[in-house]
Amino acid sequence: MTVSDTVHDTRDVGPAASGGGAVGSHPVRRRHRRRLTGSTFTPWLFLLPALLIFAVFKYLPMAEGVRLSLYRVRPFLGDLWVGLDNYARILGDERFRAAIGHTLVLAVGQTLGSMVIGFALALLLEGHAKSLWFVRSAVFLPVVAATAVIGEIWRLLFFPAPEGFVNSALSLVGLGPWTFLDSPDTSLASVVFVGIWKGAPYDMVLILAGLAGIDRRQYEASAIDGASTAQRVRHITLPALRPVITILLTLASIRGLRVFTEVYVLTGGGPAGSTDVWMTRVFTVAFERDEIGVASAGSVLLFLVTFALTVVVQVHRRRKEAG
Amino acid sequence: MPRSRYASATAALVAVGVVLAGCGSKPAATSGGSAGVAQDPNAAFEVWTRSTEATAKVYGKIFADFSAKTGVRVDYKPVFADFDKQIQQRAASKDLPDLVVTDTGSLGVFTSQGLVGEVDKGSVAGGADIGERAWDNGKASDGRYYAIPFSTQAMVTLVRKDWREKLGKPVPRTWDELADLATAFTKDDPDGNGQADTYGMLVPGTTDRGYLGWWASSFVWQGGGDVVKQDGDKFTVAVDSAETVRSVEYLRKMFCDTKVVQPGALTTGTNDAHAFFETGKTGIYVTGPYMFGRFDKNLGKDKYEVIAAPKGPAGDTVLGEGENIYLMAGSPRADAQKQLAEYLISAEAQRAGMKGDPTPVVRLPVNSKVDVDAVYDDPRWTTTAKVYADSARPFPSVPNFQPFRQQFSETLNSLFATCGGDVEGDLGKLAGNLEEELRAQGMSK
Repeated sequence: MTVSDTVHDTRDVGPAASGGGAVGSHPVRRRHRRRLTGSTFTPWLFLLPALLIFAVFKYLPMAEGVRLSLYRVRPFLGDLWVGLDNYARILGDERFRAAIGHTLVLAVGQTLGSMVIGFALALLLEGHAKSLWFVRSAVFLPVVAATAVIGEIWRLLFFPAPEGFVNSALSLVGLGPWTFLDSPDTSLASVVFVGIWKGAPYDMVLILAGLAGIDRRQYEASAIDGASTAQRVRHITLPALRPVITILLTLASIRGLRVFTEVYVLTGGGPAGSTDVWMTRVFTVAFERDEIGVASAGSVLLFLVTFALTVVVQVHRRRKEAG
Repeated sequence: MPRSRYASATAALVAVGVVLAGCGSKPAATSGGSAGVAQDPNAAFEVWTRSTEATAKVYGKIFADFSAKTGVRVDYKPVFADFDKQIQQRAASKDLPDLVVTDTGSLGVFTSQGLVGEVDKGSVAGGADIGERAWDNGKASDGRYYAIPFSTQAMVTLVRKDWREKLGKPVPRTWDELADLATAFTKDDPDGNGQADTYGMLVPGTTDRGYLGWWASSFVWQGGGDVVKQDGDKFTVAVDSAETVRSVEYLRKMFCDTKVVQPGALTTGTNDAHAFFETGKTGIYVTGPYMFGRFDKNLGKDKYEVIAAPKGPAGDTVLGEGENIYLMAGSPRADAQKQLAEYLISAEAQRAGMKGDPTPVVRLPVNSKVDVDAVYDDPRWTTTAKVYADSARPFPSVPNFQPFRQQFSETLNSLFATCGGDVEGDLGKLAGNLEEELRAQGMSK
């Protein structure tokens, strides 16, 4: 999809497609394209500054990344062409394959957990009362806090001895002490927990916006028909939230694959590599093993997977909306 | 599209092409260094040090003195975290700082990537005052020199004296006594607060930078083991030898059986680790002498003692490394690089570095004209100097030891985390990978 498509599309698409961008070929646009007038280039002119910045800070570095992935990188000795060797090496790396597994577990766990908790929070905190507004802001705080700060704080809270904060709290109800980040058996779950703690309020806000769009009369009508609360959630709320959930799923799964900061700060990938994810592994290979080429290959693979995932979701959505 | 637009589009493409080609076509230097780089006396002279905020002040003062003496302005940037990663990022953009002071352990990476050029030892003014042993810190596996030593040190063992005396234990002289003391510190409530909240052994056990391997190496040598062993001018893998296995089992006992290591050790880096010692959480810390100043301030000079490493089955060898001065490649200020390096090894700058408060940047001087006892007048430093002279050794001088240390610490981390693993089997598997790395570096026997 080119940029000009998007610009022209905005005038002739319905609200259904406005979130996704282009629709199929359209007679109005086809006629338009043949006529080359000044107005064809005006949008480009406006886009130029942004495009230039994107080119310098995004597209050129990306192209450079692809190039590096084909070389053994030695900035001061001259790069050596190795072809696809870097890809073979990163895919052959046992720890990298394990990291992909962890990434998937993390992405699925965080996405589903955040959504379920976010949905529960949204149901609880929907409304206009002043106190609710305050609670909502308080709940939202983890989202605006810097991820690195959150990581450091949870590292302290999770201190794996009986005197650690969470463990002392657990001991009050007769549980613990738990190892949290200290043992390969619990570290990944602990990271997922922090991800949910940070991600759920964000989902809550989007779901709240979705909830506000539901016609109250549907609830009233179903209540009159004798539907229970659970039935109302199941048959009115959830179907009405479908677009929001789709967006959340797309965003979260892509974000989940690229997770880095929280893992890096919480565990650095340890212990025993049990929380190593795609990006922390790439980072280690690049800056600790000093193999920029191999690391670039890992990054390019991540890009391809993310890209494919996005395309699949978009196509799926559009097919659903068309049908 | 009108023709003029084609023309401008073509022009733009050509321009982009020229820029890209310009980025990629710099002549590939074979030896690194600043040979063939256009010199520019007006270019900024950028100097990095791997430091904490405390040591950055000491360096800052030394560089200011240097500027006052020579008129050469130093654009000083202390780097507090991720030094190696930032160097790699700057290397990738081919714009390195002009001079850096960092661990001797970086020598392998820097030489194998061509980030530093060869140093002509004879032409360094004052180089004759540096002892041969210190110069070895700048010697690469090819026998040539690529860095100038700045400071040396040996790992010492810090023990909470007040705790030890309270529990009536002797100063540990052997591995068994060390393990016994660590257990007592963990189980016998040495701080007397009635809670089991103290630990024996402080370990910075993260795999980040290969820290765990750094810490464990002294113990491995004390047990007679090694990661790789020099054999003529080549190396053989020793990480799966019976001695190494025995050493690693000794260490694993601390993590898994007696559980004397502080919680969270396997994800703890050195910066986080120091706090465990100075806040009275752990009682034994194998570390460098650079921590004395900070611990004197935050814990108290009378509360801990500095001892040589307790003897293992094969001796009391410890890691002895230090900091080097690296003259980075591609610098337009080669003259200033040499001038500053010569100043840093002078007796005056070495003394100033040792007197840094609270943390000296020169631990043991490389300049033989500087007398450790006279400058420090502190028996703990005398101990350190003696350990360095008698028992310290560096990592093996393979071209680049970093990948070895990294994989070694990943395997150890996994063994200490899972506890149930098979030490011999895992080290055997590691040996295979290290053998491959030796071959890749052209050092396999």
